[in-house]
Amino acid sequence: MGATFAKYREVALVHLKCQLAWRADIMFQMLFTIGRILFAYLLWGTIFKGKDTVAGFGFDGMLSYYIFSSFLTQLDLSPGISEEIHNRIRGGTFSKYMVLPMRTEGYFVAMEAGVVLFYLLFDLIAAFVWVAVFGIQLQVTTDTGVAFCAFLLVVLGLLFMVQLNYYLGLLTLKYQGIGTFLMIKNNLAALVTGSIVPLVLLPGGVVEVMRLLPFYYVTYLPSMLLVGRCREEAFPGLVILSLWCLVLQALIHLTWEKYSRMYDGVGI
Amino acid sequence: MNQGYSDDIIIYAAGLSKTYRRYKKKEGIRGSIEGLFRREYEEKTAVNNMDLLVQKGEFTGLIGPNGAGKTTLIKMLTGIIAPTSGELSVLGFTPDERRDAFKRQYAVVMGQKSQLFFELTVNDILRLFQAIYEIPEREFQENKRFFVELFQVRELMDVQVRTLSLGERMKMELMVALLHNPRVLFLDEPTIGLDAVASRQIRKFLREVNRERHTTILLTSHYVEDIRMLCDRAVVVSHGRKFYDGSTTELFDRYRLKEDEDMGAVMERIYRDGDAAWLQETPEAGGDGPDGKEE
Repeated sequence: MGATFAKYREVALVHLKCQLAWRADIMFQMLFTIGRILFAYLLWGTIFKGKDTVAGFGFDGMLSYYIFSSFLTQLDLSPGISEEIHNRIRGGTFSKYMVLPMRTEGYFVAMEAGVVLFYLLFDLIAAFVWVAVFGIQLQVTTDTGVAFCAFLLVVLGLLFMVQLNYYLGLLTLKYQGIGTFLMIKNNLAALVTGSIVPLVLLPGGVVEVMRLLPFYYVTYLPSMLLVGRCREEAFPGLVILSLWCLVLQALIHLTWEKYSRMYDGVGI
Repeated sequence: MNQGYSDDIIIYAAGLSKTYRRYKKKEGIRGSIEGLFRREYEEKTAVNNMDLLVQKGEFTGLIGPNGAGKTTLIKMLTGIIAPTSGELSVLGFTPDERRDAFKRQYAVVMGQKSQLFFELTVNDILRLFQAIYEIPEREFQENKRFFVELFQVRELMDVQVRTLSLGERMKMELMVALLHNPRVLFLDEPTIGLDAVASRQIRKFLREVNRERHTTILLTSHYVEDIRMLCDRAVVVSHGRKFYDGSTTELFDRYRLKEDEDMGAVMERIYRDGDAAWLQETPEAGGDGPDGKEE
């Protein structure tokens, strides 16, 4: 058990080290975080001019939500997984992972953990510095139970996104091209998280159906929980997201069992 | 583990075949559009009804021109792809079941595909493979020392892999692959693209590993020199079929092979001069040790 954990931990560390190899990337990453906070500060400062609240949020609450939400969105780097798997299966180099005595899916989860750790570390440093510089009063829930639920949702959400992208990548074994699947996933995620149309503009029934989908719980709900809202949705959110993780796990298993024999290892 | 498995038999293949299905597109944009609605496929047999028995400690060379089926055979032996038909057992396992216990006992190095992380140093990569193969610290240090001294790469252990030359990188690929003391090593064109000096170093290293560690090695190459210098036993394949399986020395003598010869010319002579009855002589295990091996 310890040895199994050690191998996945080492995979995570190796990918963290890969990120740390590029100094310019680290610098630009931190500048990007600073830019985002600055942009949010200016944008919401303008919107809140002469107003105390917008959509029930005060200035600090809105800024806090924006910072949490964009921070969590930035942490999800899983689209790179489907791309990596797709390219390697089509190029005949997926064998790099197949010959290792470990679960391929576990490798990708560990890889994602290493990369997320890198962004978490440097983004947090940058965020703390700039929150202090601008004197932003971050509104964070004081309910430890809710904060813990938010943390669990973040972890489950990242895991779900890795599973989803891993699964979509595996579909290359059957379909060779997965562009359409990725497009559907991206559009669905954007719709459910309110990026295309604000959720308040949609009929109540549609929003209720959307809440059965996992994307709502990946960044939106944890961000709301962290600023002290939607606490009644925390537990159902955990249940729904956990169920989706189980469904994806079953799908991955079935897909691999059914299609892995179709891998021909042919490519460049 | 397969029934009837003997510790001395590393590879057992009988009637092994692999057929690929590939899309045939008519020329031009019209052909591309037609292909959206109706596709024609053809079947290509990469490995055709091949038998192979490799025993513990053998250094076997698979030689043949491009497209002969060498790489496909290696992929089947390592479980990367599944055979279309035939029996196959490697180290007592059915490779395409891809069990971890099986994967821990072999290593595969493909000349054109890398297991390394280009941003990292070799020391960091070795630590990763130590964890993946669950190698105890003492064994890890001993193996690392052995390979570092053998390859004389001490000064390269702390530099990024991307800054290494092709020859240096291949040494590191081999070091990473052999770190866990695999019982069998599959090498697919390990000297491809290397200059004469680097090729010679790689060959010396492989000879040493086979001799000192008794690692069974199956090497594919279309360089005649690789086979002559390293392998006691040669298996000549072309169009997915086995044309010769026996002593390397006998192969060279019989067909007057020269080290710098092109594989196409070699195969042409084998086809032309080949006595059909003799070609069917396929000893179950390797032949006599060749003379003039590189030390």
